Amino acid sequence: MKSGRWITETGSSTYLSEAVAIWLRDLRGEFRTRYAVNSILMFAVTTLIAVSFSIGSFRIGDDEQPFLYAVLLWIILVFSALSGLSRSFVKEEEAGTMDVLKLSARPQAVFLGKLFFNLTLLGALELIIVPSFILLMNYEIKLPGLFTAMVVSGGIGLGGGTTIVAAMIAQASARGALFSVLSFPLLLPLMITAIKGCEKSAVGTNNPGWPEVRIAVAYSIVMIVMSLFLFPLIWEESMQ
Amino acid sequence: MYSLKVSYLCKHYSQTLLFKDISFELHPGEVLAITGWNGSGKSTLLRIIAGLVRPTTGKVEMFFKGESIPKESRRRFVGMVAPAFSLYEELTALENLEFFCKVRGIAYDRKSCLAMMERTGLSENAHKLCRNYSSGMKQRLKLAQALLHSPPLLLLDEPGCNLDSKGMKIVENIIAAQRQLGMTVIASNEKREVDYGDRVINLSE
Amino acid sequence: MIAKVLLTIWMTAIIVAAFLYADAAVGFPGETSRILFFHVPQAWVATLSFLLSMIASCIYLARRRVTADNLALSAAELGLLFCLLATASGSIFAKAAWGSFWNWDPRQTSIVILLMIYGAYFALRSAVGDPEKRRVFAAVYSILAFVTVPFLVFVVPRITASLHPEDTMNPAKPGMDPKTLKVFLGSLLAYTGLFIWILRLRLRLLNLEGMQEPEFLVTEKMDLEGEE
Repeated sequence: MKSGRWITETGSSTYLSEAVAIWLRDLRGEFRTRYAVNSILMFAVTTLIAVSFSIGSFRIGDDEQPFLYAVLLWIILVFSALSGLSRSFVKEEEAGTMDVLKLSARPQAVFLGKLFFNLTLLGALELIIVPSFILLMNYEIKLPGLFTAMVVSGGIGLGGGTTIVAAMIAQASARGALFSVLSFPLLLPLMITAIKGCEKSAVGTNNPGWPEVRIAVAYSIVMIVMSLFLFPLIWEESMQ
Repeated sequence: MYSLKVSYLCKHYSQTLLFKDISFELHPGEVLAITGWNGSGKSTLLRIIAGLVRPTTGKVEMFFKGESIPKESRRRFVGMVAPAFSLYEELTALENLEFFCKVRGIAYDRKSCLAMMERTGLSENAHKLCRNYSSGMKQRLKLAQALLHSPPLLLLDEPGCNLDSKGMKIVENIIAAQRQLGMTVIASNEKREVDYGDRVINLSE
Repeated sequence: MIAKVLLTIWMTAIIVAAFLYADAAVGFPGETSRILFFHVPQAWVATLSFLLSMIASCIYLARRRVTADNLALSAAELGLLFCLLATASGSIFAKAAWGSFWNWDPRQTSIVILLMIYGAYFALRSAVGDPEKRRVFAAVYSILAFVTVPFLVFVVPRITASLHPEDTMNPAKPGMDPKTLKVFLGSLLAYTGLFIWILRLRLRLLNLEGMQEPEFLVTEKMDLEGEE
């Protein structure tokens, strides 16, 4: 064994492979503790039941249904996501593993790994909540393709916009509340777009090129690229 | 090949001065010991050298064949053990080492990780979750983690913390081996650990 | 000192002129159009400070000078203040002209989002203990918030059509009465002057506060060392 293996062997490793290592580790840890999944899914299921129980599937008239159901669905999705997406960073800080991670991984790899993990969580959340919402509320969707594209691109935007915020609040006090306070203004344009898109898919307005989906995709790309640039600043050395 | 140069380091915490004008150079094969009363800033000094904490004034530079290594990548040339560090509790010891190999971009092979665990006396417990480890075993695993990438600079903050006499012997072996590979900085108040140093800096003086 | 006196006289003259010199615009109930001389400059200053705060944040991230962060902070504080003023004056107009104080007009929606961003910005600043981190995080957040603003332009007007009187009152268009235009531009100048004056006061105060902390010395020294 000689000194400086890092220099000689780093060629085989890329940001992506390091990010994947972080992603898989988070998944493995999550699988064993169900730390984030429990809080997000329980929050989502509880809200869904509350909404479904108090409104039911007949209270809202047919004209109002497409819009109001889209609003309810996205409120459930966004606030469930806000309840748990900060967990992966907060847990690093609470468990005292943040410093070791800072010493071993490159910041961009950390960001990407955590982003992949958050997107996985969001995928699981949408996979469970969206079909149950449609069934429970008897939500009629005329354009399933547009609806699916909207839900998926909206989910990517949710993850892309909040991961860097999670890294900031993990290093601040009053974490839980702060995450929603900081994320919500950033997510608002996305949320409005997603509601509009889901409403159109339920009504059956097929605008060529699906403008809402394109806005959500553009939003995701912009937020992820900006985060990649800004994340190293958040990950750097501290005064204390 | 590698060398470390620390010049005029000074650290304040709000109004209080922790230490000032710390300067030294370190070359491969050398061991530096840092002592000082509790709260004199031993751990902080090590964290500054590692690049986790920003000094108030002064700078830390690491050179490779006379060329300065950029500050952002310095962290990855460092292996560090500190009481405040933790490894992932929900993973087994071997999974922890596997993760740090991959994240550091070292080709992972099970054999070298197992060899590392052998070296720190953990091979029987390699597949146990870290949550079930005793504090001494955790310390040994942290030592293994710090050595994974054969770092040119090894920073040991109280390496003997929670260790039994066998563990102390392991630390001694690690320091002796590091003399062949690179530089070592030990922060401790234990006489035995301070004695490993070729030079001693006392922060309380 | 002279600037302060001049500003006071100018501001007074504008207020008098706004009520006595300029005529009320046609097409608006009663004297409601006079809100133009106050509401629009307030909104202008709120936008200006949002932009200034973002630019100062970028400069801070590049150069790490405490003064740049102080500028970002004081611009954000003033932005919040003028944002609240514009919201209040806008609501008064909304009540008089559209019948209710609040009706989620696109302009109102965007100003609420701006208020939420400012609120979040200050919440973040107060939650980070480490002064260096506080500045970096605040700067990063304000850049992120700024990046989302263009999306609002696409998104918000699509929700409902705006009732905001833009075409009749837009000074860039030839429809505006010359007297009104004179007072309006004067008011814009007065509000910008007011903004610069308060901003400079706030900056001086922040610099004095900073001098008490050892950090101040620290950054000065660090520049000499050339660490950054």
